[in-house]
Parts: sequence; C-alpha cells; structure tokens
Amino acid sequence: MITVNNLSKVFRQQNGEELYAVNNLSFTADKGEIVVLLGVNGAGKTTTMRMLSTILQPSSGTATLEGYDLKKDPQNVRANLGFLSGDTGLYARLTARETITYFARLYDVPENTIHDRINKMADLLDMHDFLDKKIDFLSTGMKQKVSIARSIIHDPPIMIFDEPTAGLDILTAKNIISFIHKCKEDGKCVLFSTHIMREAERIADKIVMIHQGKILAQGSWDDLKKNTGLIDLDDIFIHYVNNVEKEDA
Amino acid sequence: MNIKKIIVIYKKEMLDLLRDKRTIITSFVLPIILYPLLMIGFSSMMSRQEIKLEQQGIVIYLNDIAQNEISREIRGSLSEIETLQIMDEAIVYDEDTYLDLLKDKSIEALITVEDSLSSTGYTILNLTCFYDETSEKSSMAYRKIRDNLRDLEEVLISKRLEKIKINSEILNAVEIKKENIAPPEQMVGFIVGKFLPYLLIILTISGASVIASDLIAGEKERGTLETILVSAAKRNELVIGKYLTIITISIITVLLNLLSMYISFRHIFMQMGQTMGNFQLPIGNFALILLLMIPLITFFSAILLSISTYSRNIKEAQSYQMPLLFGAIMLSMVSFLPGFELNLGFALIPIVNFSLLMRDIMLNNYQLSYLFIVIGSTLVLDVVTVYISIKLFHSEKVLFRTAEEKSLKFWGKDKKDILNLQFVFVYFIIMIIALYYIGGSWQIQDLMRGLVKTEVLLILLPVIVILRFSKTDIKKTLRLNYTNPMNFLLVIIAALPFLLLAGILGQIINLIFPLSETYLENLQSLLSTDQTSIWMIIFVVGILPGICEEVMFRGFILSSLKKNGFWHGIIFTAVLFGVFHLDPFRFLPVSLLGIWLGYLAWKTKSLYVPILAHIMQNSLAILITNYSDKFKFLDFIVKDGNIAYWVIIPAVIIIYFVVKGLHTFNPAETKDNSLEY
Repeated sequence: MITVNNLSKVFRQQNGEELYAVNNLSFTADKGEIVVLLGVNGAGKTTTMRMLSTILQPSSGTATLEGYDLKKDPQNVRANLGFLSGDTGLYARLTARETITYFARLYDVPENTIHDRINKMADLLDMHDFLDKKIDFLSTGMKQKVSIARSIIHDPPIMIFDEPTAGLDILTAKNIISFIHKCKEDGKCVLFSTHIMREAERIADKIVMIHQGKILAQGSWDDLKKNTGLIDLDDIFIHYVNNVEKEDA
Repeated sequence: MNIKKIIVIYKKEMLDLLRDKRTIITSFVLPIILYPLLMIGFSSMMSRQEIKLEQQGIVIYLNDIAQNEISREIRGSLSEIETLQIMDEAIVYDEDTYLDLLKDKSIEALITVEDSLSSTGYTILNLTCFYDETSEKSSMAYRKIRDNLRDLEEVLISKRLEKIKINSEILNAVEIKKENIAPPEQMVGFIVGKFLPYLLIILTISGASVIASDLIAGEKERGTLETILVSAAKRNELVIGKYLTIITISIITVLLNLLSMYISFRHIFMQMGQTMGNFQLPIGNFALILLLMIPLITFFSAILLSISTYSRNIKEAQSYQMPLLFGAIMLSMVSFLPGFELNLGFALIPIVNFSLLMRDIMLNNYQLSYLFIVIGSTLVLDVVTVYISIKLFHSEKVLFRTAEEKSLKFWGKDKKDILNLQFVFVYFIIMIIALYYIGGSWQIQDLMRGLVKTEVLLILLPVIVILRFSKTDIKKTLRLNYTNPMNFLLVIIAALPFLLLAGILGQIINLIFPLSETYLENLQSLLSTDQTSIWMIIFVVGILPGICEEVMFRGFILSSLKKNGFWHGIIFTAVLFGVFHLDPFRFLPVSLLGIWLGYLAWKTKSLYVPILAHIMQNSLAILITNYSDKFKFLDFIVKDGNIAYWVIIPAVIIIYFVVKGLHTFNPAETKDNSLEY
C-alpha cells in the first residue's frame, strides 16, 4: 500500500528561480488496486514516480510504502517495490538469465531460490527460448519481457510503472497491460503513469489527474464522470485543466 | 555497506566489460602487441632501411677548383667508397646549379675543393661539403665522405711530417679513452626509465577512461541507471563495485604492459647478447613499478569515475576526459626533461612524482623516503577523490543533469544573460593568449610603455567594450558605488600585514620549489628603480594595474559569476587572477590576494575599495624592494629579503580586526549570501 502525504519537489533553475515540479501531492493506493497517475508531458508524473522509488529526494512531504517511510527507510522501500519505465534499458552484453540473476542478487533473493524463480518467470512470460541469449540479439518484445522479469524477481508487493508502454507497438504494449492485470490479481498495489487517456480509462481503479505538479482531481472513473457530468475522459481532463487556469487568472 | 552486494556488482561489471570488444582491445590486446611491434618491428625495420640505403648508390658532385695533386688524391680516395659515384666533370655548372641539383635530390652531396696558402707556406685545402640533413641518404653521404677524408687527412699529415723527419706519433700528446662505467643494466634503465613512465601512464589512463565512461555515463545512456538505483543496493555499494572494476582492469593492463615490455626487451637483448655481453634485465624494478602503479591507478580511477558520474552520456564523458588526458601527458613527460630531479615539492605533485620516481627506480637510484611520500600523498588524494565520487553519485543534480542551454546571446536581442561562467571562461582564455603574445611582444620592445599598453588596451578596454555592447548597466556591474570612507582606512591598515603574509607564503613555496636566480633577478629589476624613476614605476606597476585589473576581475568577472554563489564566485575569480599572472611560483600568493580583493568587493559593494587595496599592495612591494636597505631598523622584520615567520601572528591579528571592522561598517542587508546588491 502507498500513502502519499503533501509530497513536493522543487528544482532550482539556471536563472536561480525555483520550479515546483511536484506540488503538495497527496493520494493513496491500496493492495490489489491499480492507480493511474494521469497528466500531460511535464505534469510531474515521472518526478513523482522517481521520488516514490527513492531515486529523487522529496523537497518536502513524504510517503510510506508498505509502512516504510520514503525518507527514513529508503532501503526497505526499495526492497518492497518493483520499478518499470518505458525508457529503462538492459545490459546488452549480458544474457537474459544473467540480467535477472544480477537483479535477484541486488534484491537479496536467496541464492538457492533464484534458479527456480527464474524458471517460474520464464513459464509465466514465455521466455524459455531466449533465456540464455544475449540481450543484444533479442527483439523489443523479448526485451520488454526481460525488463518485466527483472522488476518482479523479488516478488515486491508494490509495482510502479512509469509510462511503461511509451514507444512500444500494440502487441508489446498488450503484454505489459496484461501483466499489470496479473499483478492486480495477485493482490499487488500498482501505480501506473500515462498521458494516454484511453489507457487510463481501460485499466484504472482510481485516477489521479495531475497538471503542473498539482492534483486536479482524483477518484474512480465513475466518480469523475459524476462530478463533471461529462462522459469522455478527454473532456473531463480538459474541464479540470480549464478550471485551474480560470482560478489562476 | 554490504560487501556481498559490492562483490555482486563487481562481478557483473567485470563480466559485462570482458565481453566488450573496446575494453578487450584497449586494455589487453594493445599492450600485448604494442611493445613487440614497437621494439622488434621498429628496430628490424630501421636496420632494414639502413641496409636498403647502403645498397642504393650515392651520387655526389666534386667541384675541384684547386686542381692540384692533393685534390686529385681526394678524388681518388672518395672513389674508393663503394656505392659512391662521382659525377662526370665534363659539364661545368655554377655552384647554384649544383645546389639546385642537391635540392632536387638528383645528387646527394656537393663538394667544392679550393686551396689556400697558410702564412708558413703550406697549402691548405678548403673543402666544403653541401648536403641536406633532412634527407637520410644525403646525411649518410656526408658521414661517409667525412670518415673517408679524415683518414685521408691523417695520411697526408704523416706524409708531411715524414718529409721534415718528425715521427707522426708526436701528435698523440693526449689520448682520450672512453670507458662507460655504467653496467648494461643501468644503461637499459637509463633508456627505459625515460619513456616507461610516459607510456605506462598514458596507456593506463586511456584504458581506464574507456571503462570508466561506460560504467556510469554508459548506464545513463542506456537507461539502466534507474534500474540499479531503485534496486536494494546502496549507492555507496554501486560506486565501490564500479570503482573496483576500473582498478582491476587497469592493474591487468599495467601488468600486461610491463610483461610485454619485459619480454620484448629480453628478446632484443638476447639477439644483441653477443655484442653486449650477457646480463639480466632488472626484473625487481619492473615489479616495484607495478606495485607503485596501484595508488596511481586508484587515483585516476576515482577521477574518471567522477567524470563519468557527472556526464550525461559516453560521448560527453569522453570529451571531459580529454583535458585530463592532455594534462597527464604533459606532466608524465617530465621524465624526458634533463635536470628535473625528484625533490620534496615534485614528490607532492601527482603524475610528476610517479614519472620521476619510476625513472629513478629504473636507474636503481631512488630514495626510500620519496617512495613513501609519493605513495602516501597519492593515497591521501585517493581518499579525497573517492569521497567526491561517492558524493557526486548521491547528488540528484549531477546524476539527473538535464541539457543546459548554452548559447552566447551576445549579438542577439536578448542581451541580459551574456555574463555567465562559460562566457567569462572563453573570454579569459582569449585574453591570456593576447596577453602572452601581444602584450609580451610590446613589453620586449619597451618594458614600461609595453606594460601601460597591455593594461589599458588588453585588460581595461575590452571589458568596457563588452559591457557597452551588451548594454549592461556598467555602473552596477563594475560596482562603481559610494562606500563608507572607513573602508578605505581599513584597507590601508591591512595592506602591510597582507603583503607580509603573501610574502611568507611565497617564501614557503620557495623552500619547496627553489626559484632560479635569474627569475628572482628579473622580478627585482621590474620593481627596482635602477633605470626608471620611482614615480614612473609606482604608476606603471602599482596604480595602473590596480585600476585595470580590478575592473576586469572584481568588476567584470566577479559580477558575471555572482549566480554561482558567493564563495564560488570569489574563489573562481581569485584562481583566474592567479593564472593571469602567468607565473606558477606566484600562483598561490596572488590567488590569496585575489580572495582578499574579492571579499572586499563583495563586502563593501564598491570596486573602489579593492582598487585601493590592489594599488597599496603593488606600491608597497615596490617601496620595500627599493628602500628596505635604507631602513635598518626594519631588519627585525625583513632581513636579506626574508620575512621573519613570527610576523604571521601580528599580521593575522590585524587582518582579523580589519575584517571585524569591515563587518561593522558594512552590515549584511539580507541573510542569504548572494552577490546581489
């Protein structure tokens, strides 16, 4: 479970001005729930995801993941989450098995269970044919499967997906989406970010709309429809953005 | 830190790198094949080339103007040289035509023979041999002719002596015999010691730089950095794992280098064994050098890792590595230079110390104390650089550095932002080059006039022009502000203590790096009144630089760097100020003065204060140089040009109170330490 409390991130720009990439964000994501962080490019999605995965330090506020505080206990936070983004890469000169083994060891998966876990993963994702081939020789789809396997080798209760389908073809993207559903079935807490409204519409249990670092609205798909009286997610998003801009003006 | 994790990371990096062709080639293959190629290939190619030259015919022209018995004898003697062909004399050209033929390489040498009579009536043959030293063949022709004619001269002399019945042995009054007492081992050490440090350092850094750029910048480029940062490994563990990888591969590189070098040498000496006598290559020295390379490798690895962490991609990392590589090449070449001996000062300079120490080791002539100083000082630097590396890896700003917009909008519409770090840096480099070439040539023509021209035209004028063109508020940028008159009084009080402190710093540097006598004489002559009046010197060396240099450094440069923070701006300006004086021995004292002047400009918000301080410093130095002999009562402070060390205490106390005074008269308006007004 993820609980985000007043999370903010400030970047100092070249001209000395401060820029709030993420501004006072609060939301929760439960076990077996898919929460989608929805916003246009530059809204602050990646910064939020990076803070939650402890790559970046929050400027203020905090969050707990599986009860571990982001700031106080980053080590345990990382041990309990799997992270996958659209532009994470793999080591071209290692084989799929070597890659997954490396991450298993980094995540302290017991040495005697690594082999079995990789085999299970290969059954699940249909990877047996290329498990011992070097990443360099794999297709995009195969690489994506290795990336997924790498991110869940330690069986984390929380999964964070930062625009995982960006730049993928429909078939490969479909693999990811079905994997996300599998995570939900397994009772994992899933946080997913995207700028594609249709994608959010299809998989979200809860949508958190963010714009210029701030939350526009959050709730289930039905809640958002009810609150705005609109039926199309595009229209709902634009409705909220216009509201904010009117307030600012 | 978890050792097991570090090993996991280390193992993976090693596996990854050992599958990389670039690493294999630069770190393993190159050292293995380089030395055999260099030594065996090169030497056999050289001898083959020489044989080839020998076999080719040499054509010379003999212009015999003397036409007497001896000149005919010369012709006869030369024609005995095999492969040498003397051109037919039937065609008689003038000398210029022959020289043209020589230039065209149609002939290899031209000899003119004329005769003259000595005062005692003997005929002397004047023989001139024209040849082209840049042509191998022509040089060889000259050598053959010279050797041949030397023998001939001996024959001719003994004939002359015989005529007057004197034994030719009378000429052998002193016979010089050459006996080289250096054993062959030492001769090898002497030759190898010169280029070994250079080769080892360069090959190690170039190998390590390929690996280092791949290890972090490469991870950024491939998008794998995020995946390891979110893993359960700590950042320290990641850095150390990667650091150990660079070190391991570099050590293997050095080992292969030394091994390959050793085998190649042995091969060559075994071939020459008959002529040089049998001897052992100093294997112990090679082993010691391998051991010595380890601290140097760990030092470089940490620097290269920091560069890799800072860079966004491999290409960027490689471009940042270039200055390091160039610097290392320059410093490691010190072993080639005659007269550079390892001393305490050099033992503390990275690379230079290794270069000189390795040379001494190969000569079997090193001091154990220096060995420990070199290793010790490098280990200290190691700890510092590794610490920086880990710090950088923890910094979000560095790790996720985004593209900066670097455009000099100098001639565009937006003219507000030209005064930044990049611009200042480029400007400074251009200025230094102009100072060195243009200013230098002015000063050679006429020192005083040249100094005035340099200060006004090269230092002051360009700054004014730039500020004018960039439409910057000149008054604001240069801090031409009113200030509390007490500031001037405080600066005057601090002038002498500061000069003494800078002088003591210079004295200490002089202890570590003794200055040459000529250097000191040149400096003295600039400040002394032997040729010019004291007022002239005070104006040219004291007042003018005080104004022009302050406008440039504490005005233009410091204002341009104010965004980079208070101390950063002041220290960077002071370092540039130190470099600007183009004198490595004065770099530290001048930079110290630069920090003081920068502090004054910032604290009083007025350029007039550092201008006065600068003028006071220079003028006092002039006065002390010229009049210290006349004031005998000052001997207890300065005697024979040396400042007493106890002066540090009162000087520091006075400066402390001056700084307190400055704080009282110039209270800080805002809490933050920005350089804004």
